[in-house]
Amino acid sequence: MLTFLARRLFVMMPTLFFISVLVFIIIQLPPGDFLSTYLNELQAQGEAVDPAKIAFLKQQYGLDQPIWLQYFDWAWGLLHGDLGFSFEYNLPVTEVVGDRLWLSVVLNFSTVLFIYIVSFPIGIYSATRQYSWGDYGFTLLGFLGLAMPNFLFALILLYYANVVFGTSIGGLMDPEFINQGWSFAKVMSVAEHLWAPVLVIGTSGTASMIRRLRANLLDELGKQYVVTAHAKGLSPARVLFKYPLRMALNPFIADIGNILPQVVSGSVLVSVVMSLPTTGPMLLAALQSQDMYLAGSFLMFLALLTVVGMFVSDLLLAWLDPRIRLQGGVSQ
Amino acid sequence: MNPINVPAFSAGWFNRSRNKLARTGLGAMMLAGIISLGSPAQAEIPYFKDAVSKGELPPMAERLPEHPKVIDFTAENKEIGKYGGDLVTIMGRSRDIRMAVVYAYARLIGYDEDLNLKPDILESLDVNDAGNEFTLHIRKGHKWSDGEPFTAEDFRYFWEDIVNNDELFPVGPPRFLFVGDEPATFEVLDEYTVRYSWSQPNPFFLTELAATRPPFIYRPAHYLKQFHENYRDAAELDAIVKERGLRSWAVLHTDKDRPYRLENIERPSLEPWLIRTEEPSDRFIFERNPYYHRVDPDGNQLPYIDRMIFNISNAKLVPAKVGAGEVDLQSRILSLQDYTFLKQSEPQQNFKVNLWDVGYGAYAALYPNLTCSDPVWRKLLRDVRFRRALSLAINRTEINRVMFFGLATPTNNTVLPKSPLFKPEYRESYIKFDVKKANALLDEVGLTKRNDDGIRLMPDGRPLEVIVETMGENPEHDDMLELIGDSWKQIGVKLFVKGLQREVLRNRAYSGETVMSIFNGVDSGLATPATVPAEFVPIQQDSLQWPKWGQYFQTNGEAGEAPDLPAAKELMELYGKWVKGNDAARKEAWQGILDINAENMFSIGLIGNVPQPVVVRNDLRNVPEKGIHSWEPGAFFGIYRPDTFWWDR
Repeated sequence: MLTFLARRLFVMMPTLFFISVLVFIIIQLPPGDFLSTYLNELQAQGEAVDPAKIAFLKQQYGLDQPIWLQYFDWAWGLLHGDLGFSFEYNLPVTEVVGDRLWLSVVLNFSTVLFIYIVSFPIGIYSATRQYSWGDYGFTLLGFLGLAMPNFLFALILLYYANVVFGTSIGGLMDPEFINQGWSFAKVMSVAEHLWAPVLVIGTSGTASMIRRLRANLLDELGKQYVVTAHAKGLSPARVLFKYPLRMALNPFIADIGNILPQVVSGSVLVSVVMSLPTTGPMLLAALQSQDMYLAGSFLMFLALLTVVGMFVSDLLLAWLDPRIRLQGGVSQ
Repeated sequence: MNPINVPAFSAGWFNRSRNKLARTGLGAMMLAGIISLGSPAQAEIPYFKDAVSKGELPPMAERLPEHPKVIDFTAENKEIGKYGGDLVTIMGRSRDIRMAVVYAYARLIGYDEDLNLKPDILESLDVNDAGNEFTLHIRKGHKWSDGEPFTAEDFRYFWEDIVNNDELFPVGPPRFLFVGDEPATFEVLDEYTVRYSWSQPNPFFLTELAATRPPFIYRPAHYLKQFHENYRDAAELDAIVKERGLRSWAVLHTDKDRPYRLENIERPSLEPWLIRTEEPSDRFIFERNPYYHRVDPDGNQLPYIDRMIFNISNAKLVPAKVGAGEVDLQSRILSLQDYTFLKQSEPQQNFKVNLWDVGYGAYAALYPNLTCSDPVWRKLLRDVRFRRALSLAINRTEINRVMFFGLATPTNNTVLPKSPLFKPEYRESYIKFDVKKANALLDEVGLTKRNDDGIRLMPDGRPLEVIVETMGENPEHDDMLELIGDSWKQIGVKLFVKGLQREVLRNRAYSGETVMSIFNGVDSGLATPATVPAEFVPIQQDSLQWPKWGQYFQTNGEAGEAPDLPAAKELMELYGKWVKGNDAARKEAWQGILDINAENMFSIGLIGNVPQPVVVRNDLRNVPEKGIHSWEPGAFFGIYRPDTFWWDR
């Protein structure tokens, strides 16, 4: 088990390295850089921009160095916990990100939790009562969530939250609490605002979860050992939870690796629409203005989440299902 | 008693001998003095009461300059207000905190509601006959927001230690401080007087000082010196630079000194409200400046409102948030399309939606790129008959009805009727929908061959397909192009829309790849003879109709191309006359420039006068019901002085 852990961890390193190279290349792909955006702004104000100034600014921002050197500067900083410098904000990226990272984690974690809490009972219900009204009803609901455009759903929810509960539109807290320290009132305000985005992002993920659990469970339910267990007089609930459910859970857990990045990238759009103070809108703005270190740091954060998600699901799977071999092909 | 106000566009701006440009009526000041003598102890501002009684802050009378700027409430139709309250508004991104400087509109000299230039931060300003010598008089006892005196030293610091420092400003002082290649001669006459002079008249100086984005030719020297190599021990400075992870002291200095962007909460300022929130945030709080220089006629220090609050929110949510009653004053991001929705929420939310006029010459315009690289296109676009035909084949009435409830006006891309330069033909030439005439013009150009789809063929056999590039920011542009595409089909021209990003489009236009683009019309719809006609002559690279000519001018001929169309050459000549001329000559030059533009359709205006919804809370006073919503001149709410707005609660 320990060697398995070590190997998985070791494989994460080159993966992250390749991702970081890719991220950097992709950010550099569009024409121009932060400086050209900035120079456009200067020119718009009627300032004549002469070559000396351009060279001066390039040097100031370190954009005169070759790309690979810029990359190594950045990557070297990352290894030391230094995320680089945001041109847009004129601040180190760590300072710019601030609370946003934590709010993103809270939002995404709540969403994943929501997906599990909703889809788990519904999946079991609709598998055990296949083709019943309840099965159809819940499934329909799940598909509605999947089919409805997130931004539309978000806007509708915002509107009704405002009309019915008087919640302020957009954001993750009432405006008064922004920049304030954490207090009970602030936490409550976050809770009041959190449910809407969680619902919006969550509903799009539940349908697939429900279907997967239902299908897997149905497979297992018809098998011999379940019939035997029933015949031996075990109560239906005990049979269900003891054997087939455990088997059916496998893909459910394997999904953690997928669902995390899915939720995180899905939340970018919703965060932009709902104006949430998470990393999403900032990432988008950074990509638009080619604020490369800021954008790069966010993308690396997403990559890290994915890799860690995969790692966790691997661990859980290994623990859950003894049939999974830890040594890969070696034992053959 | 009456201040001598010289309207920016009145004749004799530079001819009056020893023209005292509004030595802000001594009389008015004395009057204010008498009033304040009559009621010697002005009621202290409640917001500062504690601080004053504790001795942390001097009383109001000592905080004000000797002669504060008295706002003429009768002329501006305002009522004396009460202190207190917050003013909440929404901005689209945190970069927009600069709107605080725009809205506040505290300038050395600034426009009033009738677009006359009047001293504001300055006590007065003298311009000599020739218009080449400007003497600025600072108010005695005027203080920065930290209580330090505001003096000639602050001007000297800007001139000598900032713009003439090679490391801070490698390219030297900003353009408006030059006439031709000659930089200003700057003199400090005494502690409260400075002078800028040139051997030739400088027509840019005053309008630049009054601009919505002002050049800030004064900086808080006492504060900034600690970050300047001339005034700080090199090792100490180096340590700060290293600690902040910057590249040089110059970057540090620039960082600490952003008068327009307001990032540094420690930097002293002369604005009515001072930023109190550090970036990054989604809510920015501005708090009143205890040393602000303006007073109401009763001698009460302005502003009335204690705090201004900018909430940052996604632009798409703004109408909804406004409709939910989350703001006190809002015009930014709102557009006419939101009008009906906002009007609906009026009764529940206790606000009013006013419609203001706008300062844009046109709401949108097409820009044929006369300097595009494709030789066939270039020849075609430079043919005035071709441009006129395209304009004639646009159904502007339809655009108005379909998109703007018929509330807008079909117009060319030119000055507004409110401008003293306006002539009806500027607005109306070649905008009447006339497919027949347009077809005839295109036949005349020689585009007589058509393909099977009825699309005309260009001289080299390609079908006449115009790709109009957009900045991708304004969906209304796409809708307009959709309508235009329909009517252009009738003259055998096919239109394609290509959505890009602002930067990408600019770069493509600069390099000559763009054939045609759509963008906002001219900003200077309210131009006066003193306004620089920059949008109507080829002197700017970012004018999308002739980027390469503009680049040629901006780089002194090092890059770009010299204007080679006769009409463009004529424009440049007139611009030369505008620069050198006196007031009458300026008006003549302007008129000539506008004549040529109207005849030649260098840009094709589509629609104008699209009213701007302005949402105002019912108990917010002194906000005019009708106003002009314009960036330059006007600073949106700026010329209506938000420091006089107050809460009647």
